[in-house]
Amino acid sequence: MLSNLGRTALGKIDEFLYGMGFFARVLKESALFFRRRKVGFKVLVMQILFTGIDALGITAIMALSIGAAIIIIGSSLLTEFGQGKLMYSILIIVITKELGPLLTAFVIIARSGTAIATELGGMAVGHEIEAYVAVGVDPVAYIAAPRFLGVVISNMALDLYFNIFGLLGSFVVVQLVRPIAFNEYFRNLFTILQPWDILSGVGKGFVFGTIISVVSLYRGFAVERSVTEVPVAGIKAVGSSFIFCILADIAMTAAQYLR
Amino acid sequence: MKSIPELEIRGLRSVRGGYEALRDVSLELARGETLFCMGNAGSGKSTLLKTAAGICLPAAGEVLFRGTPLSHMNKREEEMFRKASGFAFQDAALWANQSIYENLALPIRLHESGWSEAEVERAGRKAAELVGWEGNMRERPAELSLGERKLISIARALVLDPELLFMDDPTWGLDEALAAHVSGILLDLKARGRSIIVSSAASDLVSSCADTVAVLIDGFLAAHGAYSAAVAWDEGRLRAVTGRLKPRETVPEWATGLAGEWAAAIASDTTAPKDLEGGEEGQRKKRGKE
Repeated sequence: MLSNLGRTALGKIDEFLYGMGFFARVLKESALFFRRRKVGFKVLVMQILFTGIDALGITAIMALSIGAAIIIIGSSLLTEFGQGKLMYSILIIVITKELGPLLTAFVIIARSGTAIATELGGMAVGHEIEAYVAVGVDPVAYIAAPRFLGVVISNMALDLYFNIFGLLGSFVVVQLVRPIAFNEYFRNLFTILQPWDILSGVGKGFVFGTIISVVSLYRGFAVERSVTEVPVAGIKAVGSSFIFCILADIAMTAAQYLR
Repeated sequence: MKSIPELEIRGLRSVRGGYEALRDVSLELARGETLFCMGNAGSGKSTLLKTAAGICLPAAGEVLFRGTPLSHMNKREEEMFRKASGFAFQDAALWANQSIYENLALPIRLHESGWSEAEVERAGRKAAELVGWEGNMRERPAELSLGERKLISIARALVLDPELLFMDDPTWGLDEALAAHVSGILLDLKARGRSIIVSSAASDLVSSCADTVAVLIDGFLAAHGAYSAAVAWDEGRLRAVTGRLKPRETVPEWATGLAGEWAAAIASDTTAPKDLEGGEEGQRKKRGKE
């Protein structure tokens, strides 16, 4: 039993080190990507289109709903305690710094994380990755780097969209239910909103995008020979990305508030 | 002085999916030679080709292209090797999300960066014509039959007119007419002095194209030599080659092409031979002498 435990532990350490090595290679190839974009630029554009542009609708709906809910609850509940202005602080914390980046990451995990892992898994089973190697294409440079960059750029951009829809768009929605004076809302909002709030959210988007893309790529490349491995790779990519994103979020939030 | 072989495989071991797919295989391919790797399904033929082509990493051993180990090549040398070699996959392995044209154009764009799009298209069409493909170049691989996909895979391997070719079971899954067509392509390449390694279980293809044969049984190189010698193997030699087959086991179809007496020799034998020249022990002895 002890030897089994030891073997499992060694296997996990081996997998972790391999994953770290893979992460380092993806970072290196991504840094060099724009210097030799001749074969991977189209993949990058398609990735941004799928991850960033196609997810605009669902991101907008989520941001508008959450923003509107906070404004409605805040303006009715907090004013009863004479803390009406606290609504703006809560709105900024939730939309820009906490829930916004995390929800955006979840949308990307559900859409692009599964897509990347299963697409790569399918390519591995069909020996398409071997075919790339055979003609001299480095799979990390051509397949992984543009997808990594596409997901990271899209995640950061979606965080900005989420801020715009959550802070500004939700005001418009609220006018239909509980009108608030335009001047009052925006004066209070921009008094409390600091550039750091936006930067912190976009920074989280960078970290989450990195986690989602690297985990999904790793899981996709790990598929070896059977089509039944492909959905498993998708499930593992989603599960691992959720866990790593939540853990990273806790660490970043703790670093911000426990300074 | 002995000339440097086009490709040299030294003590290759490969582990795939937890089992040993190749066990200490050593081979040489001279320039202009056509070598056929033969053996049952799962004997390690495809793994040997992929490892020799640098697509899969070996667990041990080395592959040398014109004297330079693949594992020690710098980026430029590796690019030159990729440009000088082509690989046609058993299951075609075309890039599903790209058109036939893009499948043929990518290797050219990669290795001939100075070429205009018109030149790329010309070279792509030439490769397609070479394999007799006359379909729509804008179609996706999923729209083609297996035979057509295999033809395109061969065209992709030939698109840069490489000097070294790896062809993994090129006639597998093809009808007779297409198989004959592929055989013609192989003969043409052979006539043009290309060095070719083919994995195949089709005895017709072997008899028409092979200079040398290598027989793999359970990942071991059971025999390697000139095809002309292989067809004349005597009973002892045949037993050596099939030393890993169980007594009375049906002799595979590919093996019957090598010598007519093979089937009879195996069927009449109740004890499998253990140590004969050309078998695993023979190889070990040979290395010991060296």
